[in-house]
Amino acid sequence: MHIPDNYLSPSTCALMSAAMVPVWTRAVKKVKEEIPKVKIPSLGVGAAFSFLLMMFNVPLPGGTTGHAVGGTLIAILMGPYAACISVTVALLIQALLFGDGGILSFGANCFNMAFVLPFLGYFIYKAVKDNMKSEKGEYLGIILGSYVGINAAALCAAIEFGIQPLLFKDAAGQALYCPYPLSISIPAMVIPHLLVAGIVEAVFTLFIVIYIKKVSPGTMYEESDEKKNAIYGLLAFLICLTPLGLLATGTAWGEWGTEEIGSVVSGGKALGFVPQGMKAGVNFKALLPDYAVNGLPEIAGYLLSAIAGVAIFIIFFKVISSFKKDKAGGKLG
Amino acid sequence: MDNLKDHKIEMPEWIYSNENYIPLTDKDTFINKSILSVFHVISRIRMQDSLDNSRFKINVSLNIFFTFLLIVLLSITKSFIFVVIVIVYLLSILSFTEADRLVKILKFSISVTLFTAVIMLPAFFMGNSYSSIMITTKVFATTTSMGLLSYSSKWNSITEALKLFHVPDIFILILDITIKYIFMLGDYSMNMLYALKLRSVGKNSNKYTSMAGIAGTTFLQSKEMVTDMYHAMECRGFTGEYHICNKSKFKWVDYIFIAINVGAILLFFHFERA
Repeated sequence: MHIPDNYLSPSTCALMSAAMVPVWTRAVKKVKEEIPKVKIPSLGVGAAFSFLLMMFNVPLPGGTTGHAVGGTLIAILMGPYAACISVTVALLIQALLFGDGGILSFGANCFNMAFVLPFLGYFIYKAVKDNMKSEKGEYLGIILGSYVGINAAALCAAIEFGIQPLLFKDAAGQALYCPYPLSISIPAMVIPHLLVAGIVEAVFTLFIVIYIKKVSPGTMYEESDEKKNAIYGLLAFLICLTPLGLLATGTAWGEWGTEEIGSVVSGGKALGFVPQGMKAGVNFKALLPDYAVNGLPEIAGYLLSAIAGVAIFIIFFKVISSFKKDKAGGKLG
Repeated sequence: MDNLKDHKIEMPEWIYSNENYIPLTDKDTFINKSILSVFHVISRIRMQDSLDNSRFKINVSLNIFFTFLLIVLLSITKSFIFVVIVIVYLLSILSFTEADRLVKILKFSISVTLFTAVIMLPAFFMGNSYSSIMITTKVFATTTSMGLLSYSSKWNSITEALKLFHVPDIFILILDITIKYIFMLGDYSMNMLYALKLRSVGKNSNKYTSMAGIAGTTFLQSKEMVTDMYHAMECRGFTGEYHICNKSKFKWVDYIFIAINVGAILLFFHFERA
């Protein structure tokens, strides 16, 4: 998921870095409040740990292996703000010293993997854990949090890729940076994450947390009475983010509609790294036009689907928690 | 001696019988892969020590500054000729570096470039030849220049240079600790991976658990190391501030380096106008 240089335009990179500045400032401030001075080195060691975590390969069905990113895991173990800083440092070392991920796209990579991933993953974990006060609830939270976290990060990366050809073209209409529109970049990035990487991430995170809880309970991060509204705040923020896609809508949305989507199939074949993605790519042809609700301006349609998505998400959790309460009530009765 | 000769050693029966235990084969590529990738990182950090600071050594701060500038210019430019000129310049610098380092830099940048080329292939057939060729060449130029930077300068001099760019001390501290602890924790976890490999005879059905165990133990170990380190730091009077000790002067290579890079900037504007 490390975006190299030259895939994104310099202006996108600048924008993403600017978006990260308030996040970093807040993270440093929160960490200074929460972590005593004695533990400052723990950020560095945490960064080293998150760096190493990506080196661990886990077996996948079919004899292959894959590695986890561990953003949600670090957020669960050390708290989301410390995770933000740790992952940022790990990403910086990867970009600067190991050449993994670009220098200019550092801001974008941090946004996806040091902000969206740990925060969303952690807040989902926390919301589920708080709503279902049981061990199973916590495990469900870990699985959901890490699974959704990594997929959201992949989706953000896909959107960043996908808006490039719509925003940056030369006089002849050829894309200057990443040439694939959202219709290709989203399935290409998200489908492998939904099918493989997300599952690896969730299982690995769950196993490590279970292990640490068993071996050394008490080392886990305990939040100091944070407002529960944080999750809603973050969700609202994510809705505001979807207009990143808005930038892309405007005039260009319809232009590439049919022809480009038609080429998803051939694109998927030639891309080679999404074997399962080919079929889903065809389905996508039917799905995509729905994003723009007929008769509405594209912008409104885009926002609308974002709000709907979040609403469904909240409803889902409410249903789970009410189901839980019913069960508890039933037992009492 | 005589006693020993006389004494008849009786071997137990079971020691004579042929054992034909053949352990079930199990796929343990994931352990090998993990060991390899951790090993790769550790050896990369170790390699830093072998760097010599004497000959043709460009001032690290200058090197970082101009490398970043070059990457920005590469990213902005729309001129293919400019990219080609930069690549030729980078290749000529590469030709001055030692063979084994050269191979490592090239190996990395070529593999990234090939990956990009494969990704860009569909776009090429869709008729978007400009961006597919342009991005692939740009990626080669950027990765090569980053490789030249990271393989030719010691990492502690890179953190030293960050101080010159007014990066906050706490950040440099964290960065420094991270690099050291990637090494220490990496070494620690690699030993555990070896242990897992040696002890997994036959089928091991708890692969996930054992991997999670290694990662979890590494985390717990890191927590212990942190406290120890902070106390050690305090005992030695570290206040969290960094000072640069050697104020290096520019040598003649540095002026040549500046001249070349100013030339690159001028070329960039020349091609942008055209």
